[in-house]
Amino acid sequence: MTAIEVVDLCKTYPPDLRAVDDVSFEVDDGEIFGLLGPNGAGKTTTIKMIIGLTRPSTGAIRICGLDALSSASQVRELLGYVPQAISADGDLTGYENLLIFAKLFYVQKKDRDPRIREALEEMGLTDRANDLVKHYSGGMMRRLEIAESVVSRPRVLFLDEPSIGLDPSSKRQVWKHIRRLNEELKMTVLITTHDMAEADELCDRIAIMNQGRFVASGTPEELKHGLGGDMVTVKLSGKADLPLPPDLGRSFHASEDSVDILTENGETAIPRIVAFYEQNGSHVLSMALSKPTLDDVFLKYAKVRIEEAERFAQARQVRRSFMRHAG
Amino acid sequence: MNPLTRFVYSSLTVAEMEARKIRHDSTELWTRVVQPALWLLIFGEVFTGIRGINTGSFTYIQFITPGVLAQSVLFVAIFYGITVVWERDAGLLSKLLSTPSPRSSIIVGKAMAAGVRGVFQAIMIFGLALIIGVNLRFDVLDVLGVFVVIVMTAMCFSSLSMVLASFLKTRDRMMGIGQAITMPLFFASNAIYPLSLMPSWLQTISVFNPLSYGVDAVRALILTGEYSGLPVDVAVLGGFTVLFLTIASISIRGIIE
Repeated sequence: MTAIEVVDLCKTYPPDLRAVDDVSFEVDDGEIFGLLGPNGAGKTTTIKMIIGLTRPSTGAIRICGLDALSSASQVRELLGYVPQAISADGDLTGYENLLIFAKLFYVQKKDRDPRIREALEEMGLTDRANDLVKHYSGGMMRRLEIAESVVSRPRVLFLDEPSIGLDPSSKRQVWKHIRRLNEELKMTVLITTHDMAEADELCDRIAIMNQGRFVASGTPEELKHGLGGDMVTVKLSGKADLPLPPDLGRSFHASEDSVDILTENGETAIPRIVAFYEQNGSHVLSMALSKPTLDDVFLKYAKVRIEEAERFAQARQVRRSFMRHAG
Repeated sequence: MNPLTRFVYSSLTVAEMEARKIRHDSTELWTRVVQPALWLLIFGEVFTGIRGINTGSFTYIQFITPGVLAQSVLFVAIFYGITVVWERDAGLLSKLLSTPSPRSSIIVGKAMAAGVRGVFQAIMIFGLALIIGVNLRFDVLDVLGVFVVIVMTAMCFSSLSMVLASFLKTRDRMMGIGQAITMPLFFASNAIYPLSLMPSWLQTISVFNPLSYGVDAVRALILTGEYSGLPVDVAVLGGFTVLFLTIASISIRGIIE
């Protein structure tokens, strides 16, 4: 059974911004699906269209077989949503946050209290349940938001950048809980992230999104495998942009003083690569051998490393806000 | 649950959410009493003394007590849109709107919460009026009637504010518009002077001002005991309230786009 089915989805903003540009995908029941991409790639807009917060310009969306546009309120009963910004209400206690959301999801009265208790227990929030949420740490707030999903039991859960801004140990806890929701409560999960480790750790399948389009999709293994072989990173003094002979591998990403080379068998290629550069007037300073990561996959499809893309997006945002204030 | 039960249940839940927040921190409720208190204690006392405004058989301070009450409710309600913008910025609004609860119930619940704050204002202002010896008719049914009118007034202006919020979308603009419309609404009403003393163009405007009807109804209930205008007041105020609630329920989607 298909939990999420998206067909030819587009969102355009006037005059000519195509935030989401002809995206189609399916997520099977029980999967954890990751939407990967830099800021501004269209991930959040895609989620917002699926859960009915933003109207698509064109395209069709079905959730568990129901049309998300024509049966919006029925569909919302099947959905859970954790927005990117921490959205728990700071002026209420943890318990009250869960209570209000249980009511807004029409959880039956007899199930309400046991589920809230269970959720608090599971997320390790029981002893802070009666404290105002504004006194919680970021990790606790995120766990509280996930607890809301334990209470409302959606069939499909949407998490927008669930671990953004969290320290590594809170991050791991959040991942553990997401996996539990998926395994024990059988929720289908769609997460967006620009954290490669998160995608690799959690997702059964991922899709890479850039500038509103899907540029690649598959299991993390498939995507990494698709790059072929090992990655050899060479730091050089002297010319880095020499054309490589094909039997050594192919140059994947070159900057001024370093080259990433994809090659079938890294261990045996290293001595030959050193020899090649030394013979052509470059001096090898260091070498590293690694397996391709999702970051490399991203680099291939989005033509830019994710951190670099991030910086561009931030620069763009700063520029925009500057223009707003100046204009 | 059928759709109507769901709507009522969700509205009450959203109102409960707001009420719980007030219970945790009621500072704002108390600071909101300062301004109407000044209107009564200073403006009211001074103008009663100089007898500059002809208010018929009632003293000026009697005349403006209902007006000051309605005005303070207007001030509480008109800034509800800012709360909605703030909740949008915090992500809370998206989450509320992604629940199966109907959107109109989120709006109505918030408007009801404004009503709760309005009733608190009424209690405080009545208390103050008693202390300074303003002679009012404190009949149980009349006071209950005032509460109903106050809840309607609060719902009317808070939903108007949410309509504005869904088009203006930022806190700065909402602060600006809040300042820009409250005083005109206040002055173009019968809150602090009788309609008959206004220039005719202002009288025409005040016919379209929901606040005038709220003030008129409160004044009838608590001061004059003259109920003949009451049905019209309640009908017009109710009409505006339903109109603004309906528009807000539809337009609120715009604020998260």
